[in-house]
Amino acid sequence: MLGFLEKVADYTKEAASAAKYLVDGLGVTFDHMRRRPVTVQYPYEKLIPSERYRGRIHYEFDKCIACEVCVRVCPINLPVVDWVMNKETKKKELRNYSIDFGACIFCGNCVEYCPTNCLSMTEEYELASFDRHSLNYDNVALGRLPTSVTSDPSVRPLRELAYLPEGVMDPHELTANQARAGKLPNQVIKELQAQKSNEESNNSTDMDPNKSNSTNS
Amino acid sequence: MNSGIDLEMSFTEGVQNLGLSHELAHLLWIPLPMLLVLVSAVIGVLVTVWLERKISAAAQQRIGPEYAGALGILQPMADGLKLLVKEDIIPARADNVLFTVGPILVLVPVILSWLIVPFGQNLLISNVGIGIFLWIALSSIQPIGLLMSGYSSNNKYSLLGGLRAAAQSISYEIPLALAVLAIVMMSNSLSTIDIVNQQNTAGFLSWNIWRQPVGFIIFWICALAECERLPFDLPEAEEELVAGYQTEYAGMKFALFYLAGYINLVLSALLVSVLYLGGWGFPISIDWFSSLIGVSIDNPLVQVIAASLGIVMTVLKAYLLVFLAILLRWTTPRVRIDQLLDLGWKFLLPISLVNLLVTASLKLTFPITFGG
Repeated sequence: MLGFLEKVADYTKEAASAAKYLVDGLGVTFDHMRRRPVTVQYPYEKLIPSERYRGRIHYEFDKCIACEVCVRVCPINLPVVDWVMNKETKKKELRNYSIDFGACIFCGNCVEYCPTNCLSMTEEYELASFDRHSLNYDNVALGRLPTSVTSDPSVRPLRELAYLPEGVMDPHELTANQARAGKLPNQVIKELQAQKSNEESNNSTDMDPNKSNSTNS
Repeated sequence: MNSGIDLEMSFTEGVQNLGLSHELAHLLWIPLPMLLVLVSAVIGVLVTVWLERKISAAAQQRIGPEYAGALGILQPMADGLKLLVKEDIIPARADNVLFTVGPILVLVPVILSWLIVPFGQNLLISNVGIGIFLWIALSSIQPIGLLMSGYSSNNKYSLLGGLRAAAQSISYEIPLALAVLAIVMMSNSLSTIDIVNQQNTAGFLSWNIWRQPVGFIIFWICALAECERLPFDLPEAEEELVAGYQTEYAGMKFALFYLAGYINLVLSALLVSVLYLGGWGFPISIDWFSSLIGVSIDNPLVQVIAASLGIVMTVLKAYLLVFLAILLRWTTPRVRIDQLLDLGWKFLLPISLVNLLVTASLKLTFPITFGG
């Protein structure tokens, strides 16, 4: 009899706790309703890509020495470097250069290893096309600069979450002069340098009385 | 209790004054409320679909439909229009007749159930004597249609979905009926009008929710299960069964299922507000209020205002419950089929039986508060 009652009590407790969890969950859902949507309404609003964004690769034909390092470091040997040896000057003569962005994984190895910095990553990410062959960019297409999101008059640029001031979650009502949370790398470097020089001067002032002490004794 | 506005009587009297016979006047009257209720049911569904999409979006910090009309209010219309012009596909090896009859058999009983939903003292299609019992009877036709469409699709997902829908409907109908029975016992009538009138003696304090809190919860859980809404949307659980019994349906036949689901949700919400939240009644008693400001309750203006406010109250209560259902959808995870049947047979059924017995004994001990 007692065992049965215990079972009933346990069952009731379980039902009560289940109901409590349900109400808690409803509270969470209800609370979410008064938050602002995080939606970026894409063709009209765009996020500003971060400064190290790895977008479509930019290429400067005149800087290239046709060394083919980019081909060797590429995971799938993607860049096509079309050159001929000029017998008279004994130099490589570059004719064409192309990267197929239908196959590129945007790892950035080619940019990293290019000895003359003729490759760089842009912030362009809208590469959709109707034909996959048109994704194979030649040196002319690779040399074009993308329109920046901030300079496009038909687009409202929005800052990414990491670039918002502290405590701000919504990029919509933000003015351009509000600084992001935390410090920029150059600010950090400046601060570190200041700290270092401070320590040095402190050390020197510390050492001065020592010196005077030593001379005294 | 006064009889309030009787539109039917005024209409028939008006037509009879034009020189038509009483029978003809009655015949002219009959289609009017039917059409009105059908239109309001469909509009109710459109509003619910829009609310569902907007509230779901808000709960997930999205925007939801925005460009079709102001705030996306026309989005459900666009959805409906799209389904209307879509190709009607019947799978090659499906049973043609059953496949077509299935969705109709699902939708028709739900629409028929609107027969007994009151929006005011005389504002319903028909004050049927068996009232709420008619709704329970009609809602048991639905699983037949679901099973039919699931079986005739010639698809394993559809079949499983149909079987689940049937199992779910059958097991949740029993506690639902028992919860309703407790209410019926208290109001001594199956008629929805009597049930509401019995609740509207002292404003919101006399609503059935205070006398039947357990019954209210049981009824709400069962209503959600009958509507196949989360957490009980097993028959169409998309992660397991693609779309359950709807898998093979497209175009208007799918739209019938869609419509039936949402009409059923609005209907259930309306019935909860009728059975437990005082239907068209105000939170404060209208008799008491009108005597407070010194206006006779029989004043025609007061009657018109009271009737329209009554409609607003019914709809408002119903949509509060719809809102709760949508919120529950994004709060609760889907139960497993064994958990679903456990909840139905091992929890709700005994609890509702106990609730019924307690109501009966309370009715014998306190006949004044529990309807002698």
